[in-house]
Amino acid sequence: MGHLNTPAVLSSALAGTVVLECGDERGEFAAVLLASLGAEVIKLEGRAGSNSRRFGPFTQPDRGIEHSLCFSRYNLGKKSVTLEIDQPGARDALARLAQRADVIIDSGTANDVARRLELYREFQQANPRLIVCTITPFGLDGPWRDLTMTNLTQLALGGVMAVCGYDSRADGVYDTPPIAPEMWQALHIAGEYAVISITAALNFRELTGVGDVIDLSIHEAVSTCTEVAMPTYIYNGAVVQRQTGRHAAETRTRPWLRRTKDGRYVKAFLFWGGRDVRVITEMLDEAGVEHDLASDAYRELRKTSPSEAQAHFSAMIDKLVASLTAEEVFHRAQAKGLLWASVRYPEENIDDPHFQARGTFQPIHHPELGRDLVYPVSVATDGKDRVTAFTTGAPRLGQHTREVLTQAGLTAAELEALAAHHAI
Amino acid sequence: MAQSEPPRRRPLEGVRVIDLTKIVAGPNATRMLATMGAEVIRVEWHDDRALDLLRGVRPHAPGGDPESLNRSGLFNNINAGKYGITLNMNLPQGRDLFKRLIADASVVCENYSPRQMERWELGYDVLSKINPGLIYMQITGMGKSGTYNSYVSVGPTAQALSGLTHMSGFSEPMQPAGWGYSYLDHSTGYYGAILVLAALLRRKRTGLGCYIDVSQTEAGLMVSGTATLEAQLTGQPTDRHGNRMQSAAWAPHGAYPCRGTDEWIAIAIQNDVQWASLVNEIGAPQWTRDARFADAAGRKANEDELDRLLAEATITAERYDLMQRLQQRGVPAAVVQKADDRCERDPQLKARGYLVPLPHSEIGTWPIEGFPAKFERLPADVGGLPHRGAPMMGEDNDRVYRDLLGLSSEEIATLREEWVI
Repeated sequence: MGHLNTPAVLSSALAGTVVLECGDERGEFAAVLLASLGAEVIKLEGRAGSNSRRFGPFTQPDRGIEHSLCFSRYNLGKKSVTLEIDQPGARDALARLAQRADVIIDSGTANDVARRLELYREFQQANPRLIVCTITPFGLDGPWRDLTMTNLTQLALGGVMAVCGYDSRADGVYDTPPIAPEMWQALHIAGEYAVISITAALNFRELTGVGDVIDLSIHEAVSTCTEVAMPTYIYNGAVVQRQTGRHAAETRTRPWLRRTKDGRYVKAFLFWGGRDVRVITEMLDEAGVEHDLASDAYRELRKTSPSEAQAHFSAMIDKLVASLTAEEVFHRAQAKGLLWASVRYPEENIDDPHFQARGTFQPIHHPELGRDLVYPVSVATDGKDRVTAFTTGAPRLGQHTREVLTQAGLTAAELEALAAHHAI
Repeated sequence: MAQSEPPRRRPLEGVRVIDLTKIVAGPNATRMLATMGAEVIRVEWHDDRALDLLRGVRPHAPGGDPESLNRSGLFNNINAGKYGITLNMNLPQGRDLFKRLIADASVVCENYSPRQMERWELGYDVLSKINPGLIYMQITGMGKSGTYNSYVSVGPTAQALSGLTHMSGFSEPMQPAGWGYSYLDHSTGYYGAILVLAALLRRKRTGLGCYIDVSQTEAGLMVSGTATLEAQLTGQPTDRHGNRMQSAAWAPHGAYPCRGTDEWIAIAIQNDVQWASLVNEIGAPQWTRDARFADAAGRKANEDELDRLLAEATITAERYDLMQRLQQRGVPAAVVQKADDRCERDPQLKARGYLVPLPHSEIGTWPIEGFPAKFERLPADVGGLPHRGAPMMGEDNDRVYRDLLGLSSEEIATLREEWVI
């Protein structure tokens, strides 16, 4: 690669952009992505602290609000301002914050968010460049608007769970439930769409000079994210069936997951071209695994009974995989151009030289631990270094209250009055 | 969202995207850019390197020529709103035409195998000399830089490596359930779009283009939540927990069977009030008064038994009826909807106009999955500038080669004869 960019080239793409993050955990991922692009994200919390400060895992046995790794993960690089919006003086303080803001992200139930949206519309009168993005379970209208939802129920209703899980029994009956893949995936999907929406609105503002109001539905965001499931029904009237460790499909396909010598799994796809047979035969030979894939009998079987030949070939791959560790299979297969990979634990990538070279992980200091933890912070490089990063870890509750409100123009006396009313 | 007359201004007005992407991840990124009003021009050719295999993938629109490259429903869904041209970049004339396209482009997106563009001598170092402000976004499975720069991947490969496959399903001795589709083809597309949108903002401020080397595996790590952190903290490998909640004492928390074949409802109890409401709605059977289930910690500690007993209570219920009854009491409960449910029985998606009918030049008008946000001012349109579904193979050759590059009809005819376009 020839001349490239400066390091972390997009970590300042949104420099100078001020984001106010209100609401609950549903907006945190969007805001943390904006922080990784260089936005100044001011997180407004009640005096009791955000919900996510109470989600584990925790770094300390006291499960204290400053010790949540969930909060830490989703709030890197942000500033924390405590503000009780219903206390005297708080709305004026918020209005002054909004005066210098470019974006407000608000999330929660549609009722709560819609109520606050009226306030934000007032802010837009004074600051027409303000972009407001609401993130709610269903958007701000529609018959299901007020249903009570969690990450799990969003993944259910949005169609992700129905296509994830285990094979049915041989008789076609499922005896295991659909599975919601772990972590806050509904909120991840919604957060990603929120950032697409906000950065599009920032581009639009460059043309028009005015902000916008964005009404993002988590349900719709999840619904867009099921790949072939919707087109299969729309075009063919068929419903795909979930399968173990591989794509849901209209009809049962062969397994992809295979057990390795070290008790792990690899994902080993089967393609049936001559090249796959050749390179897998080479791998069997190199691993010293006895096989008959080069025999006349097998060549004849491929002609006379392709299905039987495929089953036999698959069994040979099982034998190959069982003779090697997961990492050996991964690297040997990739050296031969096969699309296979080891089924890693996510943390096994931290010490992988590939991701170290790319700067995928960034150390963040945890004073309560007296050491760093490394966080995945970037999905891309500029050819050499990661393109997004964080300048700080997650904030302590109210760590930046006085600093930020002073920058917004509040006087010392006004701050004392807010404190006296338990507004900050 | 309103999908009628294309409004005058769009957020990516004047942004031309040369789209060399294939399958799902890259096309998802350019789909977002098309939705926001970029002029996205897909470049394809009739060989293994440049033909999007998705054109041949089921489902197909019924009828018509079964060999047609224009009938895939998945392709139509993911490539709506884009223009399409054919261009043989294996030939020097094809590469010259490509460079002419690049000269006036804002963005190029590609997800070929890692070294393909260099083989054609069309890498970022070459293209950025032609157009210094170019934003070049490349998506590969593991990332172009780094030690795996020759490794090959599709969505499920990256899902395995990133840990997402391992993190889904029941603990050993059960296998990982993984994801039943290429989740990272979606997520990586979203990140690709985000980074291009951010790079466009940066370019407006600085005038600088840039190269963006997106890794699908890193996208997987980005959505691995707290897993890597907890493993560093505890020294224990990440495990999987079925549908159970690990970051809070929420129980019951899972999918429970309902009346019918493979019908399920997801229920997530976050507190004692919701638990009491659930108990009342299912008729307060004797087992719900078991002291083990009296508080959140007890319910969490006895989740196996709790799940078994609750499943006995839900299995006779009609799923939407149970969802409605529980929701009326404030209990987070939702049907595990399949695609037919979302198309036929989901009043919310219908009311919000989620499926957008768009015309396609060969297969007619079909519903396309929409953008999940409504804007008051910004005109987001999944039909893009042409306000239609996906382009047919080479559908816009005349528009691009004649109107954008200024070639004459005779020149275009010659290029066709010489198998360049």
